[in-house]
Amino acid sequence: MAETFDSAIVGAGITGCAIARQLARYDLSICVVETANDIALGASKANGGLVHAGYDPAPGTVKAQVNARGCELYGTWAQELGFLFRRTGSMVLGFNDEDRAHLEKLRRNGLANGVPELSIVGPDRIRELEPRASADATCALWCPSTGFVDPFEVAIAALENAVANGVTFMRSASVEAIEVAGSGDDAHFTLATPAGNVRCRYLINAAGNGAADISHMAGAEEFQMIWRQGNIVVLDKEPRTLMPLYPVPTPVSKGVIVTGTVHGNTVITATAAVREPGDTQTYASDVNALLTGARKLVPDLDTRRVVRAFAGGRPVIQGTNDFFIGQSAVVPGLFQAAGIQSPGVASAPAIAERMELVMREASVELHERADWDPVRRAPDDFDRAPLARKEELIESDPAWGQIVCRCETVPEAEIVAAIRRRPGAVSVEGVKRRCRAGMGRCQSGFCQSRVVAILARELGCDPSEVLLEDAGSWLVEGPLKGVR
Amino acid sequence: MAEFTSSANDCSVVEAVQTQAFDVVVIGGGPAGMAAALAAHKTGARVAIVEREQHLGGILRQCIHPGFGLSHFKQELTGPEYAQRFIDQVHATDIALFLDSMVIGIDSGEPTEDTAVHTVTLMSPAGMLQLTGRAVVLAMGCRERTRSEIKIPGSRPAGVFTAGLAQRYINIENLKPGSRAVILGSGDIGLIMARRCTLEGISVEGVYELMPYANGLRRNVKNCLDDFGIPLHLSTTVTRAIGHDRVEAVEVSQVDEHLAPIAGTERIVPCDTLLLSVGLIPENELSVAAGVELDPRTRGAVVDQSLQTGVPGIFACGNVLHVYDLADNVTTESERAGAAAAAWALSGDAGASAARTGCELTVSPAGNASYALPGRITAVALTKLNFRVRRPVDTARVRILANGEELFAGKVRAFKPSVMESFPLPSKVIKQALDLGASEIVLSVDPVEEA
Repeated sequence: MAETFDSAIVGAGITGCAIARQLARYDLSICVVETANDIALGASKANGGLVHAGYDPAPGTVKAQVNARGCELYGTWAQELGFLFRRTGSMVLGFNDEDRAHLEKLRRNGLANGVPELSIVGPDRIRELEPRASADATCALWCPSTGFVDPFEVAIAALENAVANGVTFMRSASVEAIEVAGSGDDAHFTLATPAGNVRCRYLINAAGNGAADISHMAGAEEFQMIWRQGNIVVLDKEPRTLMPLYPVPTPVSKGVIVTGTVHGNTVITATAAVREPGDTQTYASDVNALLTGARKLVPDLDTRRVVRAFAGGRPVIQGTNDFFIGQSAVVPGLFQAAGIQSPGVASAPAIAERMELVMREASVELHERADWDPVRRAPDDFDRAPLARKEELIESDPAWGQIVCRCETVPEAEIVAAIRRRPGAVSVEGVKRRCRAGMGRCQSGFCQSRVVAILARELGCDPSEVLLEDAGSWLVEGPLKGVR
Repeated sequence: MAEFTSSANDCSVVEAVQTQAFDVVVIGGGPAGMAAALAAHKTGARVAIVEREQHLGGILRQCIHPGFGLSHFKQELTGPEYAQRFIDQVHATDIALFLDSMVIGIDSGEPTEDTAVHTVTLMSPAGMLQLTGRAVVLAMGCRERTRSEIKIPGSRPAGVFTAGLAQRYINIENLKPGSRAVILGSGDIGLIMARRCTLEGISVEGVYELMPYANGLRRNVKNCLDDFGIPLHLSTTVTRAIGHDRVEAVEVSQVDEHLAPIAGTERIVPCDTLLLSVGLIPENELSVAAGVELDPRTRGAVVDQSLQTGVPGIFACGNVLHVYDLADNVTTESERAGAAAAAWALSGDAGASAARTGCELTVSPAGNASYALPGRITAVALTKLNFRVRRPVDTARVRILANGEELFAGKVRAFKPSVMESFPLPSKVIKQALDLGASEIVLSVDPVEEA
């Protein structure tokens, strides 16, 4: 037996979550089907969080259209969905005449793509905008619309809002087969997953690095994914958050970028090397390249203060550097959002908007629901709350005064809230992505055992069943002594 | 858009919060904090201890191995026993205890040497509270260096633990963190955990050490590795974590004299657990937010001979100041800090003011010395200098220099990085330096050619 929905979205990365949020506005039953046990565990996880402005993609590409529009939409999305977003602006630093010519080309690109207020600035303005930028930089492309977000938070916020509006989220539901049956009004897809089968009229492929497999299983377009792997490094918090600084880009990537984060850390992102699909290892050579590249842009960066290094694969479609967004030309009713590599985060709200348009063009009837609520109430973030609010919280429940994660000042009540939200955290890393417990400089050395205990209690399981991340990532075997 | 302040920065805005006044507020209830509090209390000061956990004792609560108290109590105790002696003493006094309480900020107002009163804002399940103190003692301890800080490449599976976290799972939570462990780092915690794991039925495949020598105390190498037949692999490090969900193995490689992995020496060691004992880092985020200057070498505060930081009335002791190898020595130093803090609180004098005029020397390490503490000397008096060497050396001596002139040379002996050295600097040497017009004293450890 299969549960039946009007639409199924495969993939709970930032793309799938954004589409779910967009479509939840309409009178459709929707199910988001995710291989992993949580949101944003693929390409969206291994991401620098930059909301690139859109001067980079070649004019006329799909990327160019959705990037600039996505960047524009982030202001509204952040307000409605209650996630952190800072529009700080950014600079692409140039060090010589050749770079300057390239900056000019980027500026023209940006103008063609509709990126607002681009200008080339000189050394004085560079220092004024970001005093820590390299003194060797002679020119820069100043782009006021660039910003950054926490990519987990965006995906989680979008899906929370979708679920609050009636969307179903299926975790640990890897699509193993797709059956396409019927025709005309009766045409439908049946997805076979270990968590149960899902039947739907419309199928949206937002499967990231798995997008080619989904398309293949549905008998639609055949394409190959390339795993363009990137290593990323997070440094400890700084008193002042850095503005994103870019080098002049290479043909395949934007190069090693240094940026502040919404939480005051510094991120160095990212290397680009084609590696075996699924390879999320970090490499010493990549990490060194990041640190060296970063010091070129910000010479006084203290690269000893690495809090975390991680890696992931950008879902690139072989033969194109562009996104593939549209209805399948082979299988009607299948809508593709594939090849969403960089700038996937920046583009997500616009990809969702474009998906809606594509579906309308394919005569999918979308009637607005009277009870749609665009607003997600963000959970209380204790560390950032004003003192008066902190006191209020502790008064409402003493567990708000029980600090579990000392690096990020996360109290027990905030962790419990992260687990109880819908969809909530089911793992130690899931807790970390939602409320930052374990995200800080000690990397959960002090709090991991406490988070494990809280998860076990809240999920009603034994500590030995608590996972770091997904299936198989057990943390403890069980009790050492005494009755099991 | 939300502002980017963290809770550490906004403590000055509290108005309705309840306030309690003390002479000395000690932050941290581990061995350092308790010793400082007791010493301060002994002089008649009103003292408070603020502790994050529900219990006093700090990290000693999970250090159930023996080896504590040999110098302080002339008796071998376990960590909890050692701590309990101080806990009992604290309970026998009227020292105010704020347990389960996390300090979120120290506000020193506009510090002038005579009138500074520090406001410590803390938070607990009972709500917010402010404590004022004429003096504050920082005794927050340290944290463990992480996998990311030493940049171990590879995957990021479950089963990579700092040694202290594994110790907590085993000794406090009664949970088994794995069955087959590799330990990276031969610091004392790594050695202790090698034995602990073995005793709990977790097989230890080996202890790997980047340096060409063991980093822990000699007695721990013998008692924890040799006695259990656990191999110690020197000049070898973990170069890759393997396993997607849970650790399945680690790749180890030998390193050259520059500590760089040697290609071709990689070896795969199957295991499900990787324990890291790769160094401790003083936890000074609170100190920095309070305006305390740190020494990049120790990553602890720059202090003077009375253990007072650059912020008048704020003192530091224990592992938050520099990382110790013996708890007994933490106790001794912290008693000094506590007494000095009380003297400051009660009389505006941390024991140095009479001689302070005219004495302002910085202390810098040189040669094989990796740091020197205190970093400032403001009194012409016998001063205890602490330092460590970077590399083991069989024949070397301590030299004290000012303006390039050797003022003092210690006796020739061996030095090891695992041992924190203590060196009494005579007042006449300080006087000599001042007479030379020097602003800096250099502590150098230099090799001596054997005759």
